[in-house]
Amino acid sequence: MTALELISLITQVLFIGLFAVVLRHAARNPGRASFDSVLLFGSIAAVVAIGRVANLIGLEGDPAITILSLIVLSIAPFAMLRLVDDFNGTPRWVQLAGGLAFAGVAALTIVGFPRMAVVVELATIGFFVAVGGYAAVAFADASRRTRGITRRRMTAVAVGAALFIGAVVAVVVGALFPSVAPGLGLVAQIIALVAVLAFFLGFAPPAWMRRAWREPDLRGFLERSVHLAGVADERAAMLDLQSAAAAAFGASGASIGLAEPERRTLRYASAEGGWVEYPDHQFIAGRAFTEGRRLVSLDARRDDPAEAARYEAANALTVIAAPIATEDRRIGVLSVYASRAPIFVEDDLWLLELLADQAAVLIEARTLTAHAGQLRAREDAALLKEEFLSAAAHDLRTPLTVVLGQAELLERRLQREPTANVDRTSVGRIVREARRLRDLVGELLDAQRLEQGRVVMDLEPADLCQILESVRDRHSAAGTSVRVTRPDRPLVGAVDRPRLEQVLENLVENAMKYGSHGGVPEIEIDADDGAAQITVVDHGVGIPEADRARIFERFFRASNVESVTDTGLGLGLYICRRIVNAHGGRIWHEPTPGGGSTFHISLPLQDAGAPADEAATAEPGWSSSVGSEAAADA
Amino acid sequence: MPDVRVLVVDDEPDIRATVSAMLEIEGYAVAEAMNGAEALAAVEADPPDLILLDMRMPVLDGWGFAAELRRRGHRIPIVVMTAARDAARWAAEIAATAFIAKPFGYDELIRTVEESRPLA
Repeated sequence: MTALELISLITQVLFIGLFAVVLRHAARNPGRASFDSVLLFGSIAAVVAIGRVANLIGLEGDPAITILSLIVLSIAPFAMLRLVDDFNGTPRWVQLAGGLAFAGVAALTIVGFPRMAVVVELATIGFFVAVGGYAAVAFADASRRTRGITRRRMTAVAVGAALFIGAVVAVVVGALFPSVAPGLGLVAQIIALVAVLAFFLGFAPPAWMRRAWREPDLRGFLERSVHLAGVADERAAMLDLQSAAAAAFGASGASIGLAEPERRTLRYASAEGGWVEYPDHQFIAGRAFTEGRRLVSLDARRDDPAEAARYEAANALTVIAAPIATEDRRIGVLSVYASRAPIFVEDDLWLLELLADQAAVLIEARTLTAHAGQLRAREDAALLKEEFLSAAAHDLRTPLTVVLGQAELLERRLQREPTANVDRTSVGRIVREARRLRDLVGELLDAQRLEQGRVVMDLEPADLCQILESVRDRHSAAGTSVRVTRPDRPLVGAVDRPRLEQVLENLVENAMKYGSHGGVPEIEIDADDGAAQITVVDHGVGIPEADRARIFERFFRASNVESVTDTGLGLGLYICRRIVNAHGGRIWHEPTPGGGSTFHISLPLQDAGAPADEAATAEPGWSSSVGSEAAADA
Repeated sequence: MPDVRVLVVDDEPDIRATVSAMLEIEGYAVAEAMNGAEALAAVEADPPDLILLDMRMPVLDGWGFAAELRRRGHRIPIVVMTAARDAARWAAEIAATAFIAKPFGYDELIRTVEESRPLA
């Protein structure tokens, strides 16, 4: 046996082996792509078999055998053309032209061989180069638009197709010009061997090679997904996980449905924002979830006709889905989809299950993290409540000491001298401290009410300038002064007047309490950018820089005002912030130049138009739940 | 009995007035200070026999006052007078003789002062 014969034998065995592999695969996963790959390798295997049989029965060189071989071999480029359509899509006329050309070449071969052998051979070469070449280029083009293992396999198929065409052309040219035949024959056999090896990599890569090809994608998936356990926004985490899964697959998109067992639904992160929910059996993904097994649909529109339009819209023609589950709980479902059938599906299922398991670990981790966070928040709340009670008790004790002590003093005096005059100072102290107690209790109740969410009652149009002036007038009636600066025109906003007055009162009292001795608090109001800007200015002790960020927190009291005089519970500014926020406004603090504090309040004005409504919720649609399809397939 | 002089240190005027009134009924000679700094000045001017001391005060708080008082070599007994939960701990921190938690009544104040004042 010569080297040429050996190479030829190996090539032929490999082609027949490949045929067997795709045949077995097609039997398990019937579909157009499977059928077309059987057609491709079946035609080559048939030519090999015809040659061997002819050799055995001594019919080698018989024109009928040559005609049969040429026609059967011409099926190969036609099958390639069909595969291109399966994987990548081709214009309809290309398929039509390919079919007509095949029919033409076959007819010419039957009619013209062996009388016009040269014409037939030239036509065959032309057919192979045109159709096979187109297919090879189309495969190469498709490989550039896919990712990961699909890209590598597509590249191998493109290389195989080009080399196979080259080998056939070399053989036919060798037949046309026998003078160069020996050398060309060897070259053709070597090219054919490399072609079949490339086809093997494309259509039936060995497991170790698939793993090697998958490795960078899997690594990418793990690297991208590992931080997602800590991402606070569940929607963002799911979208990221989806796109990582799609990238690992080289698929055009992926979607993760999270189970809502009480509602019997699956909820999908919407790319437009929010979530969309569907019954837990809807779509192929839903079926995989309810049946608890992986599903492959090479034609989603056919397998789930009720949702055909949605698959079409999402460009999801092939869908594979696997449930995401832990030992004892079904968490959701992972599905990956593509606009074209994958070459081999087993691979994808293996990977899909791997990714689904990883997703289960991640989602569980997220759930546990969230639980831990809730527990911590509950503990914090309990701690806060304890601190609150302790702070409240502390603040109630001081006035209570005065009330109790002064009452006891009065009692003693009455016991000693029942006819003595009333000690007015003592009674005044009792009244003052009792009022302080009342205010503290009021503050506590306010805080409690705020905690329960009842912040603002009724919003009604009112002139904010006039509210400021009424605060000022009350103070002047009580013998204290407040300066108000206002524009000439009214500034009308929708407010809960008693609550807003409470805010201003609180700020004015703070300004008096912590302002410079004898200083007059100044309130200014003006309109700016559709909002009323109110400032309350004092020139007193100010707030230490370290404390400024926290003054609107509950129970926070600036370190330098701890016990100037009658400090409250540390709830005043917290309550102010809650009330202002409930009006759609904002309150903040800045130091007054030269010392002291300036509190700013910004409140929306009514004639400036209502505040922007929440963005209209996008119509939920399947395409929105399935990620980055458009970008990949556009 | 010779007058026992008590210095009442508290930033709350009503507390000072109430405590002073009670002590005066019982025959103590009372002086007042509204923070640690004033209290130090009062001690230097006329050292009392006992100090009733609030802890949280502006300018100079109870801790600062007590430390400075000791540094200057005064051995005057101190009774801590506070509304905080930590009254006992704070009293220990500044080596006070006793503490009294707000709100306190007449009898409790007088008893504590009697127990804490140096014997004449």
